[in-house]
Amino acid sequence: MLGMLANLFKVLNSDASPGQVALGFAFALFIGLTPFLSLHNFIILFLVFIIRVNLSAFFLGCALFSLVAFGIDPLSISLGQTLLNLPELQDFWVGLYQSDFWRATKFNHTLLLGSLTISSILFIPLFLILTLLINVYRDRFMKWFETLKISKLIKASKFYKLYEKLGA
Amino acid sequence: MTKWIRWSGLIGFTVLIAILAIFWMFAAAPIIKFSIEKFGSDAVGAKIDVAEVNLGFNPLVLSISGVEVADKSAPMSNLVSFNSAVADLSLFPLLLGKSIIQDMSLEGVEFGSSRKISGALENNDEEAVPEVIKSSDVNQVSVAKVNADNAQDKSSASSSKAIPSADEILAREPLATVTRGEKFKLSLAEHKKELNESIALVPNASSMKEYQSNLDVVMAGKLKSVEDFKARKKALDKIKAQFKIDQKAIKRAQVAIKNAKKDLGSQWPLLKKAPGEDYKNIKGKYTLDASGTSNLTALLFGDDAGNYAKTGLKYYEKLSPLLASDEEAELVQEQQEKRLTGSFVHFPTDRPLPDFWLKNLSFSAKLPLGEVAIVVKDITHQQDVINKATTLKADGRNMRNLKALTLNGVLDHRNGQGTDTFDLNIQNWQLQGLNLGLAGLELNQSNLNVQADVIFKGADMNAHGQGQFSKAEFSSKDRTVLAKEMVAALTHIDKFVVSGKAQGELASPNLSIESDLDNKLSRAFNKRLKQKQSELEKQLKQKLADKLFSYSGDYEDQLRELNATEGGLGDTSKAMGKMAKAEVSSYEDQLKADAKAKADKKKAKVKEKLENKFKKLF
Repeated sequence: MLGMLANLFKVLNSDASPGQVALGFAFALFIGLTPFLSLHNFIILFLVFIIRVNLSAFFLGCALFSLVAFGIDPLSISLGQTLLNLPELQDFWVGLYQSDFWRATKFNHTLLLGSLTISSILFIPLFLILTLLINVYRDRFMKWFETLKISKLIKASKFYKLYEKLGA
Repeated sequence: MTKWIRWSGLIGFTVLIAILAIFWMFAAAPIIKFSIEKFGSDAVGAKIDVAEVNLGFNPLVLSISGVEVADKSAPMSNLVSFNSAVADLSLFPLLLGKSIIQDMSLEGVEFGSSRKISGALENNDEEAVPEVIKSSDVNQVSVAKVNADNAQDKSSASSSKAIPSADEILAREPLATVTRGEKFKLSLAEHKKELNESIALVPNASSMKEYQSNLDVVMAGKLKSVEDFKARKKALDKIKAQFKIDQKAIKRAQVAIKNAKKDLGSQWPLLKKAPGEDYKNIKGKYTLDASGTSNLTALLFGDDAGNYAKTGLKYYEKLSPLLASDEEAELVQEQQEKRLTGSFVHFPTDRPLPDFWLKNLSFSAKLPLGEVAIVVKDITHQQDVINKATTLKADGRNMRNLKALTLNGVLDHRNGQGTDTFDLNIQNWQLQGLNLGLAGLELNQSNLNVQADVIFKGADMNAHGQGQFSKAEFSSKDRTVLAKEMVAALTHIDKFVVSGKAQGELASPNLSIESDLDNKLSRAFNKRLKQKQSELEKQLKQKLADKLFSYSGDYEDQLRELNATEGGLGDTSKAMGKMAKAEVSSYEDQLKADAKAKADKKKAKVKEKLENKFKKLF
């Protein structure tokens, strides 16, 4: 946990643009919430590698959202099942099911569809919110945070040494 | 825009993918080999050995060679083995983790071949107990309820009971003739001993003559003096004392004879009746009627039919779970896993993708009858996904002594309860030297047409089969009466139909085999059996009579002899009594008697003179 927290501060305090950091976290939604061995994750990984997103933010986000997934898996499954059994969408699903590509995406898997839907819904809002928050943090809280006594205590602590080490 | 692209990331990603691809290319074959051996062994419950696996990429072809699937119940033999298998894989489904095989052909398929090392799994010792040992519970094969087997047991019993010889029966059965005869023999011996001992003490004819002569000597002549009288009296008393001893001996002998007559007389009627009673019992027990032959077909063909059925069921039981195992287990597993891993929802499609699907499997198997080309289509454990049943078609090719063999099967596990149907058709099977396992009986030759069908529904089965035999010739090398009678009865039968049924639980179906051969044989057998039975009855009667004689001897003659002895003893006793009454008179009496005799003589002379005088007067 300390390592993850140190990493978070490192990312937040880095020179990376807020958009890259926010995008890294947003992409991590897919990897963390949906089953890893899926075609869409392969695409996400490809995008993460070729787009200048913050990889630290991405991997940190993967770890964080994987933890979150344990809590929302039942919700994801329920949502996926509802969508797949929705009469209005049956023709759509049947149509996709005829295609090898879409079958390869495992869209007919309840957890995958539910979690992918949740990830897709949250992707843009999360990106925007995180971008905004990072900007706010850097503008207002980063300098103020460094002036806090508690921050100095932290800097003197083992935690901060770890942070420094990671930042070095 | 380009500032958003990370070229190093693109290169890194490409390198990573390339590494994965190369790893997969090299590692895939060993992984597949390991998977087949590990998971296959777990599924079958016995070792699966794979010699080599090769993966070709253009086109995507999987080659597996030297596959041996050990028989769980007989670890030193293989359930099935083949030299090589070539499978055409579909690449795209494989990337999705779906093994879709378009075509697979096997070479050198063999069933039941022997292994060099045991195929038992190391942690599966209990399950690897050979079937022979476990047959008590399974084959309770299994076919413990199989009437044919019962009939076989019955055959072994009846073959020994059916027409044994009179000597065999007499040796085997507890006979009243024997028990009563033994008792009679013992009593007779005891009485004989007593009689011999007592009769030995009884004076014989020469002794009696000697007595008489001694008595005559004592009694003869006149007493000359008082001393002469005393001497004679003494001699007579001595003879009388001997008489008393002899009379006692005679009495003892008479008592012995009386006892012997009474005892043996009471035993004799029972002994005389014993052979009759024995014969009645034996006849009841060894009834030689047609009922013994009513299930003869099962005796003759039940064993072979039972073995074929056992073999068929064995392979079915091995394969069936592989098709159906996922149905219920998967439902339960899916329900359990829904909350964590979710589940797939399948939709109607012309291009279904189950986890495993072998669309077309073809191979030829070498059987004792010849080569059989087998084509199995749509092998999968997810028939509900492809909405197709697995079909099987086997055709005999270059069959020895067989015109045609076809086996069609449909294994439908799309619903919860699987339904598997098979139909078998054999034409003009020229049977030769078929050992029927009863009384050394062989079906020398016959033409056989077989039609059979079987339906497995869940744990139940329902099978019907009919074999039409023609131009049948039977023989037997056995010299037993049964064998001879069987051959004699079968000589005139050249056509018959054998029908078989197997119904009930798969683990222990009720098998029954019937045939018009039964009626034909019953008629022929009844006639022969009646003839043989009368012969046997005659022999039994004679043997029992012989046995009776061996115990009693010629009892009637002996009885006559006893009576004669008894009569002789009576005469001797009387004669002795008479002799015993003889007394020596006193010397004075003798003098008186002499005087009286002289006086009587004088009187007579006077009387004569007087009469003569009177005659002269008239």
